[in-house]
Amino acid sequence: MTWIWIVLAPLLGGLIYGGERVLRARMQRRQGPPLLQPFYDMFKLLDKRTLILHAPHALLAVAHFFVLWFTVAAIFLGWNLIYIIFLHLFAQILLILAGYSVRSVYSHLGANRELLMVVAYEPVLILVAVGFYLISGSFEITTILQGDGYWHQLPLLFVALLIIVPIKVKKSPFDIGEAHQEIVGGIEIEYSGVFYEFLYMSRFLEYLFIYSFVFLFGGESYWLGAVLVAGVFLLVNLVDNATARVHAADMVKIVYGFAMSFAIINILGVLL
Amino acid sequence: MLTLILLPIIASVFTLLLPFKRVHYFITASVLVTLTLVAFSFYSSTEIVTFHLSHSMSFLIVAADVILLLYFLYQGIKFRSANVIFLSAVQLLLYGYVESIAPTGGPAEIVVDNLSKFMFLIINGVGGIIVLYSVRYMRDEPVSATKKSLFIAGLLLFLSIMNLIVCANSILLFFLLFEMTTLASYLLISFRNDTLSRANGLKALWMNQIGGVVILLGALVAIEGYGTVMFDTLLKSSGGMVLFTVALLAMSALVKGAALPFEGWLLGAMVAPTPVSAMLHSATMVKIAPYLILKLAPVLGATLLGSLLSVTGALVFVAASYLALSRFVFKEILGYSTVALLGLMMALAAIGTKESMTLAMVLMLFHALSKALLFLAAGVLEKQYHVKNIEEMKGLVHRAPKTVGFILFGFISLTLPPFGLFMGKLLAITSISSLLRERPALLIVVLSLVIGSALLVLLYFKVSSALLSAPSDILPTQKEHLPYGFSIPLILLAFYSIATAAGFIIIQGDLFIAWLALPLLLVILLPSMVQKMERYDRIQPYHCGEKELFDAALVYYEPSIRVRQIIYGGFGMLFVAVAFIGVLS
Repeated sequence: MTWIWIVLAPLLGGLIYGGERVLRARMQRRQGPPLLQPFYDMFKLLDKRTLILHAPHALLAVAHFFVLWFTVAAIFLGWNLIYIIFLHLFAQILLILAGYSVRSVYSHLGANRELLMVVAYEPVLILVAVGFYLISGSFEITTILQGDGYWHQLPLLFVALLIIVPIKVKKSPFDIGEAHQEIVGGIEIEYSGVFYEFLYMSRFLEYLFIYSFVFLFGGESYWLGAVLVAGVFLLVNLVDNATARVHAADMVKIVYGFAMSFAIINILGVLL
Repeated sequence: MLTLILLPIIASVFTLLLPFKRVHYFITASVLVTLTLVAFSFYSSTEIVTFHLSHSMSFLIVAADVILLLYFLYQGIKFRSANVIFLSAVQLLLYGYVESIAPTGGPAEIVVDNLSKFMFLIINGVGGIIVLYSVRYMRDEPVSATKKSLFIAGLLLFLSIMNLIVCANSILLFFLLFEMTTLASYLLISFRNDTLSRANGLKALWMNQIGGVVILLGALVAIEGYGTVMFDTLLKSSGGMVLFTVALLAMSALVKGAALPFEGWLLGAMVAPTPVSAMLHSATMVKIAPYLILKLAPVLGATLLGSLLSVTGALVFVAASYLALSRFVFKEILGYSTVALLGLMMALAAIGTKESMTLAMVLMLFHALSKALLFLAAGVLEKQYHVKNIEEMKGLVHRAPKTVGFILFGFISLTLPPFGLFMGKLLAITSISSLLRERPALLIVVLSLVIGSALLVLLYFKVSSALLSAPSDILPTQKEHLPYGFSIPLILLAFYSIATAAGFIIIQGDLFIAWLALPLLLVILLPSMVQKMERYDRIQPYHCGEKELFDAALVYYEPSIRVRQIIYGGFGMLFVAVAFIGVLS
C-alpha cells in the first residue's frame, strides 16, 4: 500500500498544487485554471522542443527531482526525521549546484537565494524534529505518529513551522527563491521542455515534504493531522494573497528572530 | 612504537643529505606507506603500551625545554616583540619552579592507549600524504634547494613530534612537545621570511605561548594538590583541584584549537606555503585541541566546567562559520571553517558521554581527510593557476575541471550524506537530544550545531558558485594536466574519505543509514548520461537582452564593528570564565 502511495507521490503533489491554484483563484474571485492544469502543463512541456545550456546543468535538475522523491518516499516509509531533513538538504544542494553551474545572472541570484532559504528554514525544521523527539522519545516517524497529538504540547514550535511553510512552498511573503518580477524565476529560468517539467514536479514533492511535517503534529489521530494540514494550507494561501514579498535578508532575520525564538522557548518549556 | 617516532627523523636526515630531486618522492612515499601500515597494525592491536623514561632522557627533556624557551626569548628580543619576551620570561620562571618541585618516578611517562592509536591513524595517514604532496609543491617554490630539503625535513620531524605528543602521559613532557609544535608553527609560518610572514609567525608564537603558560600552571596545581604530573594519576584522583587543573589544561586546548578569540594565529598562518596550512592547521596540529579535551573528558562529564566548555566550543562553531562569510581568500575561508569544526569537536568531546566522545573522534578523522584534501587542492590552484582568492576563481571549472572536482568533492564530503562529517553531525543531534532532559544547557549546543551547519553549507556552496558557472558546452572543455605529484595525494585522500565513510556506515550496522548513500549513486551515474544529452539543442543563458556578458557578484556577510567587538569580547570572557569555574569547583 505504502509503495503505491510512493509511486503516486508526484501525482498527489500535482493534485495539491492544482487545488491550490483553484483555491487562490477563488480567493481573488477569478475563474482560475482547472484542477488538472498541472498535468495539462506536463503534456505541453513534454511536447516542446527542449533547449539546454549544458548537460550537467540539465541532469542536476533530474537528480534533484529523484532525490526529492526519495525523500518523500522516506517520509511515507516512516523513517528517521533527521535523516529525512538531511536528504532534503541533499536535494536542495543539487538544485543549487545546478543554478550555479551556468553563467547566468538570474540563475546565480536564484541559487544564492535558495541557499539563504536553506539557512533560514533548515535549523527550524531540525528543532521541530527535536521537539517531536522530546515528547515521543524517537526521531522515527512511525513512532512519532503513535503519540497522541503534539500541537497542545508544542504550540510555539507549530507556529515556528507555520512561519517557514511559505518559504518551502514559495509563497508570499517569502517567495524570494523564484520571485518572478525580480529575478524571473531564478534557477528555473534556464530550463525548458522536459527538464523544466522535472523542476515543476519537484515543486509538487516539496508540498508533500513540508505539509507532512504539519501532519505529524496530529500524532496518532490522522483526522487531526488532516485538519491541521487543511488549516495551514488555507492560511498560507490567505497570507500569500494578502502580503508582499519581503527582502531576502529580511526573511532570514524574521525567521531567526521569530521562528527560532518560538522554537527555543517551546523546547525550554518542555525541558524545564 | 619506536618506528612511528624514529622513522620520520631518519627520513628527514636523508632528505637533508640527498640533493632535492626525485629521490625525495621515493623517501616520502616510503615513509607514508610504512607509517600508515604501522599505525594500522597499532590500531588493530588491543594492548596498551607503556614506557618509562630513563634518568638521562628526563634530563635531556629538561635541557630541551630550557633551550627552546631561551630560543623563544631570543626570537622575541631579535624581532622586538614585547608579547613574546614577556611570555617566554614567564614560562622560563614557571618552568624552573615547576621542575624544581616536580616529583620524580611514578607511573610511566609514555602511555599508548586507544585514543593515541586513533590519533596515530590521523597523524600518519593524513600527515604522510601531505608530506608526499609537499615535495611536488616545493619544486616550484622560488627558494634554494637546501631550503626546500629543510622544509620537507621539518615536516617529517613534525610528524614524529605529533606521534609523541599523543602518547605523552606526563604533563611536563606534554608541555615540551606542545612548545615544540608551537616552534614548528612559528618556523614554518615565517618560512617565506617576508614582513607579513614574520609578523604572523610571531603572532602564532605568542598566542600559543599563552597555551604553554596555562599548561605550566596546570602542572603546578597538579603538583601542589596531588604531587603528580601524570595525566592518568591526576584523572583518577578526586577533589576540586582536579577540575581546576583540567580547566587550565582545557584552556591550552582552546588556544591550540584556535578557538575565538585566538583564531588570529591560525588565519595568519595562511601566508605560509600550503602544505604547512594543510599539515598544521587542518589535519594534524590543531587536532591536539580536541585530543586534549578527549583525554580530559572522563572527569569533565556532567560538571559545570564540562557544560561550559561544550557551550564555548559550540558557540565558536557558529561564530567562526559566520565570520568566514566575510572572507574572500580561499585559504582563510578554509581556516575559519577549521576553527568552526574544531569548536564543534571540542564541544562534543567536553560533553563527556561515551557516544559524544566517539562522535568527536569520528569528526576529527573525517575533518582531517576532507580539510587536507581541500587545502591541497587550494595549493594546486595556487601553483598551477595562480589564484588565491575566490573572486579570481570565477568559471575555474572550465580551466581546471579536475581540481575543481576535488574541491567540490571536499565540500560535499563536509556537508552531505553519506560522508563522515555529515554522519557525525547527524548522530550528534540524536545523541545530544537524548541528553537534553538531564542537561538543558546542551540546548545551546544543539542550536549551535544546526545553525552552524546551515551557515557552513552557505559558506561552502557560496565558494562553489565562484568555481562553477561554466559557459554552455558548445565550447570544448580544456583538458587539465595535473602532475602526478599533485594528483596522487588528492586521489588518496578522496579514496580514504569514501572508504572510511563506507566503513563507518558498516560499523553503524544500521540499514537505514546505508540507504542514505543511494542518492549519491544517482549523482555518480550522472556523468555517464552526459553522452546521451547530445540530442538536445544548446542555447546561451538568458541575459535580459544585454549584449555584454556580466556575472552575478558573490555574496558576503560582514558583521559590523560593534557585532565584532561583542563576539570577541564575549569569547574573551568565556575563556576567562573557564578558569574561573575551574577555581570555583
